Amino acid sequence: MSFLIFFIVTLFIAVIQTFIPYLVKRTIVFGVSIPEQYIEDHMIKKYRKHYSLSVAFLSIIILGSYIVWVLGNERVDNQIALTGVIIEFALMLISLSFYLYYHGKTKLLKQQNKWVENLKAMQVTDLSVRKQDEMLPWYVYLLPILSTVGLMIYTIMNYDILPDLIPTHWGPGGEADAFTDKTPISAIQLTLVLLIMQLMFLGIHTATKKSGIKLSATSLQASRNRQLSLRKYSSWLLFIVLLAITMLMSYFQLMMIHPEIGEGTVKMLIPFGFLLLVLVGTLIFSIKVGRSDKELETRVEARIMDLDEDQYWRGGMFYFNRNDPSIFVEKRFGVGWTINFANPLGYIIIFLPLILIFLISFL
Amino acid sequence: MIIQIEAESDIPIYTQLTNQIIEGIARGEIAPGDSLPSVRAFAADLGVNMHTVNKSYHELEKKGIISIVPKSGAIISPTERISEEKKQQIITDLKPVIAEALVLGVNKKEVQEFVNTILGEMKER
Repeated sequence: MSFLIFFIVTLFIAVIQTFIPYLVKRTIVFGVSIPEQYIEDHMIKKYRKHYSLSVAFLSIIILGSYIVWVLGNERVDNQIALTGVIIEFALMLISLSFYLYYHGKTKLLKQQNKWVENLKAMQVTDLSVRKQDEMLPWYVYLLPILSTVGLMIYTIMNYDILPDLIPTHWGPGGEADAFTDKTPISAIQLTLVLLIMQLMFLGIHTATKKSGIKLSATSLQASRNRQLSLRKYSSWLLFIVLLAITMLMSYFQLMMIHPEIGEGTVKMLIPFGFLLLVLVGTLIFSIKVGRSDKELETRVEARIMDLDEDQYWRGGMFYFNRNDPSIFVEKRFGVGWTINFANPLGYIIIFLPLILIFLISFL
Repeated sequence: MIIQIEAESDIPIYTQLTNQIIEGIARGEIAPGDSLPSVRAFAADLGVNMHTVNKSYHELEKKGIISIVPKSGAIISPTERISEEKKQQIITDLKPVIAEALVLGVNKKEVQEFVNTILGEMKER
C-alpha cells in the first residue's frame, strides 16, 4: 500500500516537473520575462526541450530503480516510506537545479540579444475585467465551516461515550496510531484544527480575489484567458480540496465517537481516495490553466512589450514588490500562485493559522 | 475599457491615467453612472502604486468628472450645464497647444483637420 502511494505521488511530481516549461505563462521562460516578439526563438525552444528531456530521463531512472529496489527484496513499510520521501525530494532538487541552470542561460540570452532595447514598456488593464472574474463567491465556505461547528457541538454532546484515549494521528491506511488523554480540549482538538484550516483557506480565497488581474499589453486576449482561468479553476481546486479535507477529518472524528462506522474496507479507501482526488484535481487544473494562453495566435504589431518585472523576482521564483498591493501573484515557474513577500498581509494569512494549528497540536 | 500606461514616459503615470479615463468617457466606452474599480483593485490590476491611482481619482474628482462616494467607490458624474467661466478656461488651455502647432509650421486648415479627427473618435454627451 505505501509503495503504491509513494510511487503515484513521485510519478505525479515527475510528470508535472517535466512539463512545467510548457505550462507556464507564455512570456515567462525559466523565470525570465521575454518579450512576446521573441518567445518562439530557437534557443528558447531548445532550452525548454533540453530541460524536459533531462528531467524526464532522470525521473525514469529514479522511479525505475525504486521499483527494482522494492520488488527485489522484502522491504518493511518504514523503509519504503523513508526511501519514497527521499526520492521525492531528490526529484524536486534535480528539477530545481536544471531550472536554475536554464534560468541563468535564459537571462544571459535575453541580455546578449538585447531583446528589451528599443521596445516601449507598457502596463495595461481592462476596466471591465473584474466583471468577467468567475471565482467562487466567498460564502460557499460557510457550508464546510458550519458543518465543522456542528460536529464540534455534536462531539461535546457525546463527550461521555468518547473513548478514554483520543487519537491524534492516523497512518496511511486510516488507522489511528497515536493517542492522548481525554479532556474537553483534546476531544474537539481535531475539529478545532479543521476550523482554523477552513478559515485559512477562506483567507487565501479572499486575498486571491483582491489580488491583481495582470494583463499583457502584447497579448491581451491570451493573458486575459489565462488570468481568468487561473482564478476560476484555482478557486474551485482550493474549495474541492477543502471539502475533501473536511470530509476526511470529520470522518476521523466521527470514527472516534462511533467506532463501528470505521469498519471494513472504507477505512482503507478514504485516505487513498483523498490523495487521488487531490492529485487528479491538481493535474487537471495545471493542464487547463497551462493551455489557456497557448491556443491563441498573437501577432505583435507595435514595438512594445510588457513592463519588465524581472527586478522584483529573486531567482525568478520569489516576488518582492512593495508597489504592488497584490497579496498573491501568478507563479513564474509552475502553475498557480506565489506570495508577494513585500506585503505583510500575506504572511499573516499563511503563517498565523499554521502557528495556531501547531500550538493546538502540541500544547 | 482598456487602459494603457507607458511606464517610462515623461508624462507622470497618474496624468496618463486621468487623461485615458477622460478620453474613455468622451468616446462613450464608459458612461455616467458607471463605477470605476476600487483604488486597490485598479492598482493591483495595472501593477502601479495605490497612491498613483488615488492621485488620479482625486484629480478627476476636482475636475468634477467623477464623484468619490465612501463604500461604493468612484462613480462617473452625469453631465451638468457648463459655466461660461469653465468655457473660458478651456479656451485658455487650448490656446498654447494651437499656437505651438502654428509656430511649428502646421497651417490653420490642418489644425482644423486635427480637431475634427479627434472629435470624430468621440461622441457628444
